[in-house]
Amino acid sequence: MFSRPSVCRVAQSAARRQSAQPIHRRGLASPASGSFQYQTGEAKGVKFASRDFAGPTTTLALVSKAGTRYQPLPGLTEGLKNYAFRSTERRSTLRIVRESELLGAEINAYHTRENLVLEAKFLRDDLPYFVELLAEVASSTKYQAHTYNEEVLPLIHMAHKAFLADTTDMAINSAHSLAFHRGLGTPTASASTTPYTKYLSHESIEYFAKIAYAKPNFAVVANGAEHSELSKWVNEMFDNVPAEAPESWSKAGDEQTKYYGGEERIAHDGGNSLVIGFSGSSSVTGKFYKPEISVLAELLGGQSAIKWSPGFSLLANAAAPGARVNTKSAIYSDAGLLFTTITGPAQAVKATAVEAVNAIKKIASGEISKEAIQKAKAAAKFKELEYGQDVKAGLELTGAGLVHARQPYQIDEVAKKVDGVTEEQVKSAAKSLLENKATVSAVGDLFVLPYAGELGLNV
Amino acid sequence: MSNPSAISFVMKRPWLQKWLEPLASWYSNAAGYRQMGLRADDLIPEESDSVQLALKRLPPKEAYDRVFRLRRAFQCSVSHRLLPKEEWTKPEEDLPYLSKIIKDIEAEINEREDLETMIVTKRAQNAKSAAH
Repeated sequence: MFSRPSVCRVAQSAARRQSAQPIHRRGLASPASGSFQYQTGEAKGVKFASRDFAGPTTTLALVSKAGTRYQPLPGLTEGLKNYAFRSTERRSTLRIVRESELLGAEINAYHTRENLVLEAKFLRDDLPYFVELLAEVASSTKYQAHTYNEEVLPLIHMAHKAFLADTTDMAINSAHSLAFHRGLGTPTASASTTPYTKYLSHESIEYFAKIAYAKPNFAVVANGAEHSELSKWVNEMFDNVPAEAPESWSKAGDEQTKYYGGEERIAHDGGNSLVIGFSGSSSVTGKFYKPEISVLAELLGGQSAIKWSPGFSLLANAAAPGARVNTKSAIYSDAGLLFTTITGPAQAVKATAVEAVNAIKKIASGEISKEAIQKAKAAAKFKELEYGQDVKAGLELTGAGLVHARQPYQIDEVAKKVDGVTEEQVKSAAKSLLENKATVSAVGDLFVLPYAGELGLNV
Repeated sequence: MSNPSAISFVMKRPWLQKWLEPLASWYSNAAGYRQMGLRADDLIPEESDSVQLALKRLPPKEAYDRVFRLRRAFQCSVSHRLLPKEEWTKPEEDLPYLSKIIKDIEAEINEREDLETMIVTKRAQNAKSAAH
């Protein structure tokens, strides 16, 4: 057991570390600081990036370009996600779980529209073990039929049910498919409209794994690991992953995303959600980066960041009682969607939707105070920095940036670009939203929920 | 449980294999299940969790064939007849289609038990730093 003096020492050093942190953090918030930067490298064709945060833990992720956008057949991404950390040639599922538990680690797999992420959080010393584990998952998972039937399929069914019960999720997915059709528009969960297990089997998932875990299609990103260490282990462990994806694979999702827009209405008993979306901005590593869109998103806003106050954002002040509003600028590698989600009682959703369109018109005509734009800029910058600092998001964005554009997502640059947005840019961005086609998706009580035409949007 | 088998012991010793093989094939034929169109793995008792799970894991075609063989054998048994000679199971058809799966399942169960009864010791370096 710990002797007393040693406990004291630990406590002291912990206290010292804590008191040292605020200074450190203040350093990070200024965009000029360099400590946010990811160092990148390549070892035998495997791209990796790391930043050495001082701290006792590490977060390691394998980010693969295998999100729903890139799946050649519906459901493969979900299937592959659920196969992660299952039996490999060397270890069984149970052994992976127990060993990670003994090391006090967390392992997790999730997918977004563009990426499939295998993530592990652990104590710094265990880096070699987890690099090996991720390499093993990527190279030698056994895609067994019974694992599919007993473990993977029930999880997919569950996700499907959860998706059907959630009107907001349905509305957002419907908006994406309206806006981008195929590719980015593919729903993230198995939606009701696709025959969601028709194309799935352990064999098709295994085939997709060969594409997803081929060297050009993934990157390894670490937070809180020494770059030289990571480089050494990545170099050693990733020998068995395929160097190239099989030649026959359809390059689904690789083409430049095009924005379409339109309207969809889905009757649902479980609540009311309305999503009003517009063509947005791509990620900063992509080609169509527009910083004014994120400022616009903050200006429309909807959720207050400050306690006991509705906040400055236009929609938070205009929302009908009972409705919850949220505006988000969803950024993807080569396109984006700026969307406002309104949920709540049908009447309140209707009233708020009208206000939302009015708010955009107001911004376009320049009836917004300079102060509000100033606030929105500050909020956008803060959100961006916070989002990047949030380890999870940072890992995914960095990995995706590496795979797509061969450069990591540097938050400092983003912050600078947001700083440079002018009032005029915001105004013209709002104007172009109204001129171009909108995406409107209503889920819930269709008798009350408005059509896009009624709101004054063209679809 | 899968049937007990000394096959790995014998296969490692070619002289023993050479000596035992005729005996084994004589025994398999004399056991009489081949004359009813069964395979050796059809005779594994089903009444255990691991075998039940293994049966669930059989590919659909194998599971169908298994039920067919069992029913045919049952008919033969009821009518006190053997199958016509051309329908007997040939030695090369008598494959262990089920024991492999049962062995995997048993390995899983054993591994779980091993991990459950494992004794965790601190890593040497960590133990040292805690003692200071």
